[in-house]
Amino acid sequence: MLDRIAFVFGEAMIALRRNGFMTFAAISTVAVSLFLLGGLGYAYMRAVDYAHAIPGKFDMRVYLRQGTDASAISGAAAKIRALPGVASVAWIPKEKAWAKEKKEDPANTIGIDNPYPDAFKITIKRLSDGDPVADQLRQMSVIDPDPGVVYLKDEQHLIDEGLKVMRWLGLFIASLLFFTAGVLIFNAIKLTITHRRREIRIMQLVGASTFTVKVPFLIEGTVQGILGGCISALMLYGAQNVFLKFLMDLDARVQISAFPTLFAMAILGSVGGAYGLLCSWLAVATPNRAQ
Amino acid sequence: MEYPGYVTGLRDVSLQINKGDFVFFVGKTGAGKSTLIKLLTREVSHTQGIVTLDGRDLGRIREREIPGLRREMGIVPQDFALLPRKRVWENVAYAMRAVGHSRTEVRRKVPAILDSVNIGHRADAFPHQLSGGEQQRVAIARALINNPQLLIADEPTGNLDAVRSWEIMELLKSLNLKGTTVLVASHDEMVIHRMARRIVTLEAGAIVSDSANEEAKPDA
Repeated sequence: MLDRIAFVFGEAMIALRRNGFMTFAAISTVAVSLFLLGGLGYAYMRAVDYAHAIPGKFDMRVYLRQGTDASAISGAAAKIRALPGVASVAWIPKEKAWAKEKKEDPANTIGIDNPYPDAFKITIKRLSDGDPVADQLRQMSVIDPDPGVVYLKDEQHLIDEGLKVMRWLGLFIASLLFFTAGVLIFNAIKLTITHRRREIRIMQLVGASTFTVKVPFLIEGTVQGILGGCISALMLYGAQNVFLKFLMDLDARVQISAFPTLFAMAILGSVGGAYGLLCSWLAVATPNRAQ
Repeated sequence: MEYPGYVTGLRDVSLQINKGDFVFFVGKTGAGKSTLIKLLTREVSHTQGIVTLDGRDLGRIREREIPGLRREMGIVPQDFALLPRKRVWENVAYAMRAVGHSRTEVRRKVPAILDSVNIGHRADAFPHQLSGGEQQRVAIARALINNPQLLIADEPTGNLDAVRSWEIMELLKSLNLKGTTVLVASHDEMVIHRMARRIVTLEAGAIVSDSANEEAKPDA
């Protein structure tokens, strides 16, 4: 059995070496597509983290009508908590808000009655939840129509749109490249089949099993995918280092966590390998019209 | 037997070959010689009738059983099908490795196989350094790796001069004398008649004569 495995692996390695240009094209395209896919995915996650870290971006302040009693307040809090897109609700009693204001600005608050109404501090789950949650809050009778619901609407829209563009554009470009990489792997295997048709014929003449005939091509495609995936992880590592150096040169006070190189290599290598296996299987399964 | 597009390869063919026979299939190009061979190697399937090999209906064997069937026979193709970048011994070793022989077995058996077809002295040569006859010997050596009871050769002398053709025929005859059944498709009439073996003549997909039947006929 070990001899047979050694033989099929040997055949696959010979094919990878002899089919150098197509192998290089397939590996580099897999690497670039996974670099974009992984890089944009990583950048997107970092951007989402960054958006979450900006104070107030996910917060809404909701002011209640003057004179709303405690039971109405607790009833409203329960209703708000049940709204889709709401992560948390905190009641801010008017006395607490006024005490804070007086502490922060004693000169302008002396001798004035508390003008604050009771309020809620609401945190939403996603930036895109801001408008629908605000619309539903405005329909509640306990909410004061003016100022009612206060939140960073324009900033939320801007960040949300930015993330959306990043997500869809990244997905589109990476998918296109990923598809191209698949076509290249498929073609590389087809080319190998054409180059090695004499070997295939000999194997068939002497009665080699289907496993022996076909598996080298599957190994070849899988290796191309794995190599492309691992190279893309190294490219991501390099890109993050360049980006960090750029930020340090700018003296920017942004904290970016260390790049998980080994984890990325494992994930991207597995994705590349699985994709390479799929494309090579398709190449082996479809008839070779040239033959 | 019909090819796709209703092209008839063989029709009304009834033939029995016994173990240990040496049979020539002769006929012009397109007569059906190669089709007859391909039916035995299961490169094509018959559309009507029955083809049996050693009591087994070849029409009933499954796709995945074909490699097993081929390991029971040795096939010598018309074009030799040698790997140009491999030496003589590597060509045979490659085929052995492909069917699952270990490296140790290959090292042990290859010299003996090459010697059995008188090509051992050229073991380190590349195919392009060999004559046509020598290349044919290598192809025959490769066909012997599974120690087959049946050897099938398609036009084995097609690319050889008279002297080399006769050498190949002598080699096939010696294998036959050791008990191997040999089937040869050929149109080399001079060699065929000199060999004085059973001759099955095909024309337009049908058998028009079989020397075995003629010999059996009582003298008029």
